[in-house]
Amino acid sequence: MKSEELKNQDYKYGFTTEIENFKAPKGLSEKTIRFISEIKKEPKWMLDWRLKAFNRLKVLKEPKWQKPKYPKINYQDLYYYSAPKSMKDKPKSIDEVDPKLIETYNKLGIPLNEQKRLSGVAVDAVFDSVSVATTFKGELDKKGIIFCPISEAIQKHPDLVKKYLGSVIPISDHYFATLNSAVFTDGSFVYIPPNTRCPMELSTYFRINASETGQFERTLIIADKGSYVSYLEGCTAPMRDENQLHAANVELVALDDAEIKYSTVQNWYPGDKDGVGGIYNFVTKRGACRGRNSKISWTQVETGSAITWKYPSCILQGDNSVGEFYSIAITNNHQKADTGTKMIHLGKNTKSKIISKGISAGQADNTYRGLVDIGVKAKNSRNYTQCDSLLMGNKCGAHTVPYIRNKNSSSTIEHEATTSKINEDQLFYCNQRGLNQEEAVSLIVNGFCKEVLQQLPMEFAVEAQKLVSISLEGSVG
Amino acid sequence: MERLFNIDFKKINSLNDKEVADRKKNFEFFLKRGLPNKKNENWKFSDLNYIISKNFKNITNNDEYTFDEKIETIHDFDHNKVILVNGLLKSCDLHFEEKSKVKIETLKSLESFHHQSINNLDFLNKALSIGGFYLEVQQNYKCKKPIIIYNYFTPNLNNKIINNSNKIQVSQNSELTLIEYNIGGKSKFIKNTFEKINIDKNAVLKNIILQKTKCNGYFYKNISATQGYNSSYQNFILSSGLKFNKIEIDMILEKEKSSCHILSGLNLSKEEHQEIKTQINHLAPNCKSYQKIKNVLETDSKGVYQGKIFVKDIAQKTDAYQLSKALILNDQAEFNAKPELEIYADDVKCSHGSSSGSIDEEAIHYLMTRGIELRAAKKLLIKGFLNEIFENIPEEKIRTFLEKNIAEQIDEIQ
Repeated sequence: MKSEELKNQDYKYGFTTEIENFKAPKGLSEKTIRFISEIKKEPKWMLDWRLKAFNRLKVLKEPKWQKPKYPKINYQDLYYYSAPKSMKDKPKSIDEVDPKLIETYNKLGIPLNEQKRLSGVAVDAVFDSVSVATTFKGELDKKGIIFCPISEAIQKHPDLVKKYLGSVIPISDHYFATLNSAVFTDGSFVYIPPNTRCPMELSTYFRINASETGQFERTLIIADKGSYVSYLEGCTAPMRDENQLHAANVELVALDDAEIKYSTVQNWYPGDKDGVGGIYNFVTKRGACRGRNSKISWTQVETGSAITWKYPSCILQGDNSVGEFYSIAITNNHQKADTGTKMIHLGKNTKSKIISKGISAGQADNTYRGLVDIGVKAKNSRNYTQCDSLLMGNKCGAHTVPYIRNKNSSSTIEHEATTSKINEDQLFYCNQRGLNQEEAVSLIVNGFCKEVLQQLPMEFAVEAQKLVSISLEGSVG
Repeated sequence: MERLFNIDFKKINSLNDKEVADRKKNFEFFLKRGLPNKKNENWKFSDLNYIISKNFKNITNNDEYTFDEKIETIHDFDHNKVILVNGLLKSCDLHFEEKSKVKIETLKSLESFHHQSINNLDFLNKALSIGGFYLEVQQNYKCKKPIIIYNYFTPNLNNKIINNSNKIQVSQNSELTLIEYNIGGKSKFIKNTFEKINIDKNAVLKNIILQKTKCNGYFYKNISATQGYNSSYQNFILSSGLKFNKIEIDMILEKEKSSCHILSGLNLSKEEHQEIKTQINHLAPNCKSYQKIKNVLETDSKGVYQGKIFVKDIAQKTDAYQLSKALILNDQAEFNAKPELEIYADDVKCSHGSSSGSIDEEAIHYLMTRGIELRAAKKLLIKGFLNEIFENIPEEKIRTFLEKNIAEQIDEIQ
C-alpha cells in the first residue's frame, strides 16, 4: 500500500452527515438545562437533580493534576443539545427513522435494520444528543431485560433510575462528572432482572456529528442478583479542525452473584498529523460490585481522541467480588492519553486484576495512572497489576504512575511494569520471512496486546485488531 | 503556623544584619505556606502538617550544643570520626587519611548553592540553618577507611527544631565511604537537613544512613546529588527507629555511564512512620540506576515509598530498575507506594515492581516441619528478607556490623 493511500485510510469514519439539526441555544446556563429537561419531557425530580448538579458545578474547579494539558474550554461557546430534526417527534419504529441516519450507521458498519442481523447484537444508536434506534427490543422484553435510551427509562422506569442514578458517581464527584449530571442528554439504560443471562451482546454506538457540540451521554447498567450481561460501546466522530468535548458518565451496579462485562472500542477522531482538531474524551466510568460474589470487568481499546482521560474503576464492596481491567491505549502523532483504573477493595476476599498495555508513537504521550487501595476490612484480598509500555521513537513518552495502598496484613498486592521498544530481533525475524516493516510492527504490536484483545467479545476482537494496526500506520521508519 | 513556631534568630551564632533580614524573609515565606500537607502530591502519604501539629504545641529553635557524655564509638572496624552535636560540627579525627587529601570544615549555610527553593522546608532550612559540615575529598585520592559521622543529639531537645545543611564534594577519581550514624536520646524534636552532593568523573561515593537506638525524632532529609562521567553513588538507608523520617533523594545523572544505587531495609515498629522518596533523573545515555526498597512493618507503623525514574529523550540505553517490597505483619500497619516512570527515550530498559503482603505461610510451614518454632521461623524469614539489602555491601566488617544491628532489631519483634 502506498503511503498516499495510507493517509486516506487513516480515519475512515471522518465523514459528516448532512442533516438538519435542532439545537439548544449556545451556552451553559440554567436555561439550557431547563430546555434539555423540557425537550426530553422529564419529570420534575429529574430537573431538580440536574439543577442540583448545576449549582454544585458553579463552585467546582476543573482538575489540573493530569498530564495532558489542554487549552481552556469555553463552556459558553458550546451547544449542549443537538438532535436531527427528524428525531423531534420520536419515531415509533425503525421504519420511521430518517433514511439518512440509517445510511450513516450503515456506513459505520452498524446496520440498525434487524433483518440484517448483526450476529445477535442488540444496538442502541446515539447520534449527537439523542438515541436514534434500539434494536431487538421485542426479544429482550420477553426476558424482562430493559435496554432503552436513558431518557425513555426516566419516564418508564423512574423507580430504578431514581434508585441507581448517581449512586456510583455522585453528582458532586468532580468537575466533568458534575457537568455531565447537569446536562446529560442521552445514553443507554440496561436492567437485567434476577437470575437472567442476557441472551445477546448489548451495544451502544455513539456518534458525534454536529459541530461546536459537546456530547454528554450517560449510561447506567444494573445487573440484578445472579444475572449476566456483556455490553459493548463504540464511538466515532467526523474530522474537524476544532476540538470537541465528550464528557460521559457510565455507572455499573452489580448485585449478588451478578456479572457485568463492559467493553469499549474508542475511536473518536484523534486530530490530524499536526495535532489539529480531535475529541477531548473526558469520561468517568465507575462500577460498584455491591453484592457478594459479583464481578465487573472493563475492557478498553483506546485508539482515538486527541486527549483521552479516563479511569474505569471498580468499587469492590461485596465480599468475594472481583474487578478486572484490561486496557490497550495507543497514541500516535500528537495524541495524549492519561488512562488507567482504580480498584478499591472494601469487602473480604476481593480480587482485582489489571492488565494495561500502552503504545506510544510519533509525538504522543501515554500515561498509565492507577490506584489499588486495599482497606483495613478487606481481609484476604489480592491484586495483580501488570502495565507494559512500548515506545516507538524518541519523541514520544510513556509514563506509569501507580498508587498502591495496602492497609492489612492478609492481603497481597503485586505490581509490575516494563517499558521497552520493539525488539530488533523480532522485527528482523519478521522481515526475513517477507513481511515489510509496517506489517511486522503490526504483528508484533498485536502480539503485545494479545492478553487484552482476547478479552473482547468476538464481534469486537477482529475490528480491534485491525484498529490497532491502522492506528500505528505511518509511525514506523 | 505562627503560633506553633516560636523562633528567636538571636540563637543562631554570628549573623550580621543583612543575614538576619534574609533569614527573616525566608521564614516569612515558610510561614505563608506552612508545613507541607497531604494535598501536596509529594506529601500525599505523609501529612507532615498533621503529624507535627499533633505532636508539637510550641516549637523553638535550639541553641544548646554542649555535650559532656563519653562518646560511645563503634569498635567493629577502623574508621575516621566526625562528631556532630545537635547538627553542628564539633570535632573530627581523620588520622587514617593523608592530611591534605581530605578536608572537613563547618559549613555556614547552603544558600549560595541554591537559587531556587526545592520545597517549603527549604525556606525553613534557609531561615534557620545553623550550619553543618563541608567535606571534600581531593582528586585521585581513595580514602583508606570509612568516615563515620556521629550525629549526637543531646537529651534536652524537647520541642526543639534543628536545621542544618551539609555539602559533600567527591572529586575526580576519588573514593569515599561515608556512614551517618544517628544517636538520639528520648527527647522529642524535629530535624530538617539539606545536603548537596557532587560526585565528579570516575568518583565513587558510598553512603550509609544508620540509626543507633530508638529515638523520638521527627527527621526530614533532602539529598540532591549530581553525578559526573562514570561516577558511582550507592546509598544504603537503614534508619529504623525514628518516630518520623522522610528521606528525599534527587539524583541527577548528568554525564554518561554514571550509576546510582539506592537500597533500603527498614524495620518499623510501634508508631513509626518512614518515607523514602526518590527521583532519578537520567539526563545522559548509558546510565544505570537501581533501587531496592524493603520494609518490615509491625504494629501500627507506616511505610511509604515514592520513587520516580525520569528518562530524558537523549538518554538512550538507560537501564533503570525499581523494586519495593513490604512485609506487613499487623493489620494496623500500612504500606503505600507510588513507583513512577516517566520515559521519553525508546531504547531503554526500565521496569519496576512492587509487592506487599504478609509472610509466606508456606515458607513458615516448611520451617516448622523442620522443627523450628513459629516465632523463630518468622524471624528467620524476616532476616532473610532484609539481608538481601546488606548483601550488596562489599566490605565484610561493615556488613557484619550492620547485620548485627538489624538482628538486634528483629529480636525485638513480638
